[in-house]
Amino acid sequence: MELLEPDILLQLLIGGLLAGALYALLACGLNLIFGVMRVINLTHAELMLIGAFGSYVLYTAFGIHPLISLFLIVPVMFVAGYYFQLVLVERVVERPMLDSLLATYGVSIILVNIGLLIFTADFKSVPVLQGSFAIDDIPISEPRAVAGLISVALTVGVYLFLERTRLGKAVRAVSEHAQVASICGIDVRRIRMLTFGLASAMAAAAGVMLSVIYSFWPGSGIDFIQKCFAIIIIGGMGNFVGALYGGILLGVVESFVGAFVSTQWGEAMAYVLLVAVLLIRPTGLKGVARA
Amino acid sequence: MKNRLLLSALLSFLITFIVAPVASFAQDIVVGASVALTGKYARTGQEQLQGFQMWVDDVNARGGLLGRKVALKYYDDESKPETGAKLYEKLITDDKVDLLIGPYSSDVTMAASTVAEKYNFPMVSSGASATQIWERGYKNIFGLYTLAENYMVQILDFAKSKGLKKIALIYENTEFPRAIASGVKSKAKQLGMNVVFEEEYGKASTDFSSMIIKMKTKKPDMVIGGSYLPDSVAFMRQAKENRLYAKIFAFAVGPALPDFGKNLGLDADGVMGNTMFESTLKRPGVKEFAEKYKAKYGHEPGYHAAGGYGAGQVLEDAVKKAGSLDRDKLRAALFSLDTTTTFGRFKVDATGRQIGKRGYAVQWINGNRELILPADVATAKPVYPFKDWNKR
Repeated sequence: MELLEPDILLQLLIGGLLAGALYALLACGLNLIFGVMRVINLTHAELMLIGAFGSYVLYTAFGIHPLISLFLIVPVMFVAGYYFQLVLVERVVERPMLDSLLATYGVSIILVNIGLLIFTADFKSVPVLQGSFAIDDIPISEPRAVAGLISVALTVGVYLFLERTRLGKAVRAVSEHAQVASICGIDVRRIRMLTFGLASAMAAAAGVMLSVIYSFWPGSGIDFIQKCFAIIIIGGMGNFVGALYGGILLGVVESFVGAFVSTQWGEAMAYVLLVAVLLIRPTGLKGVARA
Repeated sequence: MKNRLLLSALLSFLITFIVAPVASFAQDIVVGASVALTGKYARTGQEQLQGFQMWVDDVNARGGLLGRKVALKYYDDESKPETGAKLYEKLITDDKVDLLIGPYSSDVTMAASTVAEKYNFPMVSSGASATQIWERGYKNIFGLYTLAENYMVQILDFAKSKGLKKIALIYENTEFPRAIASGVKSKAKQLGMNVVFEEEYGKASTDFSSMIIKMKTKKPDMVIGGSYLPDSVAFMRQAKENRLYAKIFAFAVGPALPDFGKNLGLDADGVMGNTMFESTLKRPGVKEFAEKYKAKYGHEPGYHAAGGYGAGQVLEDAVKKAGSLDRDKLRAALFSLDTTTTFGRFKVDATGRQIGKRGYAVQWINGNRELILPADVATAKPVYPFKDWNKR
């Protein structure tokens, strides 16, 4: 069977890792929010699409390369996320989960429809970085390689921030126990705003990356957010590293199943893994049981 | 899943009541349709709707139908068969429309035509071509498009003339792409060509990398996609990324739309596709339609727009022929009608299936979409073979 040749296996593995890194970037932000404030952010995919459309607009209107727009969009989306938390999400944190679900869901619907009004339902893409380069005759997709590397860099960067800095420690403290953290003098409210800003920036960065890989329209969010939910459950709800593992695992599994079985089965893998994890290790790969 | 349902329900609510204002007046002849304004078929659905709307304007400018003004009532079916079926139920029983135009895509039409059949209400389908729709013994569904099974015939004949043998065939897992695939398989057999790779993919697929890597191991001469716009664009992008070589790349829906070139840039060059209509065709009314459409909507009409307009014209001719809105008379008129609209000839067989309409093949050449087959209407000669990615 030709598929078992090392070249092809390697190509599938690289493809899977690169796709997985992008999933991870998106899912880590989602999980960060959940970890810190127990809010399932249903606008996450739309935040990503804001990044994608931002990159599209900057490219078509001003000819700005997406890699440069990244430096414009990410800070803007950090600030936007920071204040979005202040204005809306802060009001529903610590309330029954249905409140935050409905609030973020409502915003998601509004964003999708604003997107449809502005950009219509046409598929857009940013035609740069097309094609591939080869290492030892193994073609590696240019946009995916760039997106994969940037995703890894950002995810690792945020991870180091969480692990190594005082502020990151505060984020983790709030995630572990908000009340105790607040007693220790941490401004929990500000940490939550910071977290949402960070997660929005990560989602928008994923969106910019997405804009060079796929075609997208304002309704594209749903395909990604569903996978993200699966990823954070696979990785462990609320666990940043778990989402990283989950994302990469999903990318690689999709890639191999897509080749050895079929693309249709590849796409079902998010849910197959989800069920498997729930049966075998219900807390997820990196999750711990919570009281 | 529940989430998705809830989202669609809310979305459809928003779209129906805020985004798509509905026009309906007493005494007007109301034409009802569901249109794909969101979801996978949104791009093509939107064009089709603009075609309907232009026809409504034109027919009213001509004095209306049977001396009455015509109005259009439409809802967004989100590219979903189940929503489409519900909407036609509503159009027929609730809105009590006078005439029906079908939705876009074979799978939504499959569901919607069942509702029309239940109420014995003739429906002119402007956007469907899977043969299955006409194999259920229904008496109320009239097609406009060339049958999906015949879409690739011209391109396959051309491939045969170049001595190609190995076909890689991929298609979405819904009615129309499957119908294309079955047409390709039977034509290939007849021509003595082999399908060396075959795979279905899901409706939301955007990542074909693994499929392409697998396909490469079979070394196909030509790649045929039973596809729509988003998947054909994604496939070509990833074919380049993974350096998939073949002498012909041909896709059912996609290359015939201007967006295909916009999304792919120069990588679109050489890709072939099917169309039902091009504004370069020399037929009465075509040029006027294309100019007027462009002035109104700011872009040239794809065949979906022309199909929408043509569906209106067919209804117009049928109502005139029947002399009333009576469903039985209308049905009889549609069965016996043989007319040529802006879109092309309309003539159906005893099942309502289109047999008069001609299909065409297009190819992207130097950034333009050219009509290449059949030769008598071609605007350019086919460029063969597809240029290797590393020589571009």
